[in-house]
Amino acid sequence: MILRLAFRNIVNNGWRSLINIVVVAIVLIVMVWMQAMYFSWIRLAETQQIDWEYGKGMLREKSYDPYDPFTIEDANAPIPPELEVGVADGDLVPVLLAPASIYPEGRMMSAVVKGIPREQQALMFPSHKLHEGEGGLVPVLIGQSMAKSSRLQTGDIFSIRIRDIHGTYDAIDAIVEEVLFIPAPTADVGSIWVNLDVLREIKGSEDIASYFVIGDAKYQGIKTEDFRYIDKQEYFADLYQMLQNERFQQVLMYALLVFLAMIAIFDTQALAVFKRRREIGTLAALGFTKAKIALIFTLEGTLYTAFGIIATPILGFPLFWYYGTTGFKIPRGYDDFGVLGFSETILFKYPINEILMVFAIILVFTAIVSWLPTRKIARLNPVDALRGKVD
Amino acid sequence: MKEVIAITKNMSKAFPTGEGDFWALKGISLEFARGEFSGFVGPSGSGKTTLLNILGSLDTPTKGEVEVLGHKIHQISPRQASYLRSQHIGFIFQTYNLLPVYNVYENVEFPLLLLKMDAAARDKAVRDAIAWVGLTDKIKSRPNQLSGGQCQRVAIARAMVKKPDLVLADEPTANLDTENSMNILDTMQTLNRELGTSFIFSTHDPKVIGYLKRIIRLIDGEVASDDIAPGL
Repeated sequence: MILRLAFRNIVNNGWRSLINIVVVAIVLIVMVWMQAMYFSWIRLAETQQIDWEYGKGMLREKSYDPYDPFTIEDANAPIPPELEVGVADGDLVPVLLAPASIYPEGRMMSAVVKGIPREQQALMFPSHKLHEGEGGLVPVLIGQSMAKSSRLQTGDIFSIRIRDIHGTYDAIDAIVEEVLFIPAPTADVGSIWVNLDVLREIKGSEDIASYFVIGDAKYQGIKTEDFRYIDKQEYFADLYQMLQNERFQQVLMYALLVFLAMIAIFDTQALAVFKRRREIGTLAALGFTKAKIALIFTLEGTLYTAFGIIATPILGFPLFWYYGTTGFKIPRGYDDFGVLGFSETILFKYPINEILMVFAIILVFTAIVSWLPTRKIARLNPVDALRGKVD
Repeated sequence: MKEVIAITKNMSKAFPTGEGDFWALKGISLEFARGEFSGFVGPSGSGKTTLLNILGSLDTPTKGEVEVLGHKIHQISPRQASYLRSQHIGFIFQTYNLLPVYNVYENVEFPLLLLKMDAAARDKAVRDAIAWVGLTDKIKSRPNQLSGGQCQRVAIARAMVKKPDLVLADEPTANLDTENSMNILDTMQTLNRELGTSFIFSTHDPKVIGYLKRIIRLIDGEVASDDIAPGL
């Protein structure tokens, strides 16, 4: 009964109702869009990093601190006996890092040379292209970002200076075998990929590694003396921290949008209580308690959001479909910042549970905002209401 | 001896004003029996509507006692008052006060929704009430599609549909022409006779006064006279 009356009043309210519903729907469309963007961005970043660098996990040499480049030099250790079978089976991919100076076109740049087994299949990295080389030239693969910063192109020859495990510097001539599109920025920016055997030879040690990429989940969490398991949470800590920071801005944005929608609903309901006081008096005369009358008005306001929620997929469909199929392309130049997930077009996926949660929260907010003007009803004398008087 | 359904004992009502209290009703003592067709008559400001509102539990007295259908209005809580109105009292207003978003059927049905009747019984009661007031052909019409007389008939049907013990009608013919007023009054008189519902009016319309069986004349908040209509 109350629902029917509230519904009829909304319909009877005509344009004002329509405007409220559209305002709510627009706010929700923006919120769904933002929710989908963050969700899809994070999923894309995770997928890229997993495909190109993390695999099913990582075992990192204990002294290696990714935030301290000076640790790279010595952050390697021989393959522990308990991992030898995994390495031999290809379930563990040893990667060796070596800080280096490179000299493209005579300029000097710092870089990290990364040795990866040619036959590995745990990562999407096309390591099979890293052959032994000929004519004294070591073939290397670099990403587009590295190519841009070093101005190296496919076929370019340049020198790399690396220190071996005895502290002696050695220089090699390398040729850019191919400039790859590497969506994971940590595998691209400042990275030069070479055949692991070649790098080990230069370093002067045959079985050392800086980290292992896990290709088979059975090695997750394994403990060895020199290598430490890096779980997903630790590996993506920066990404998740960045997401947390973005979330704060997102919440602020949401709050602003919701505030605007709530103002519209509050205004409508406050006006309704004022304009319909004779109706309030009539309802009281018919035997409605003040709580029930307040419920009618609260429900009316809440229905605006309910209808707004229904209108959201309808009005927002073109936008949602466009970003779901064409995607959100990060403006050119942003991918140079090395932010995870920024190198590819983000195809939106819509996290239904999160979106429903947002809708539920907005419904609760609307109910509160719609209830606020009804407090006046509690103070309204039915006789005054019937006369159309208000305090 | 007829059952008393409402009684006031030395009841007064004051409204605060900037210059102290204004006493709208002073020492009113009255009794109303079941099945009465009575009314408060008097000029504007004589306290008719105030007295009607108190009897309808929409307001409470400042002094004295009022008992309606066993409920002490001078002590009643808002929730009990709502219950009393929803179960036992029907109101008819000068301005009809129909819900504009509902059609005739829904307006008449509305009070029954508080009574938890089953759907079939409710439907029958609504259709009967609409038939009493002769608006069966307008059942789907909205108030804005009806004349003033028709709206007041809907209001009567809404007041009568739950077969209340008491109907309070505040200037029910004030916005109606003579023909419509007579029709409305005939309808109410018939319902009073056939269903035994008590009617109490507040009016200064001579047409209504002509129908009343008991005329209580109020002047400046006091009962000036309480008479049985001539010829009864």
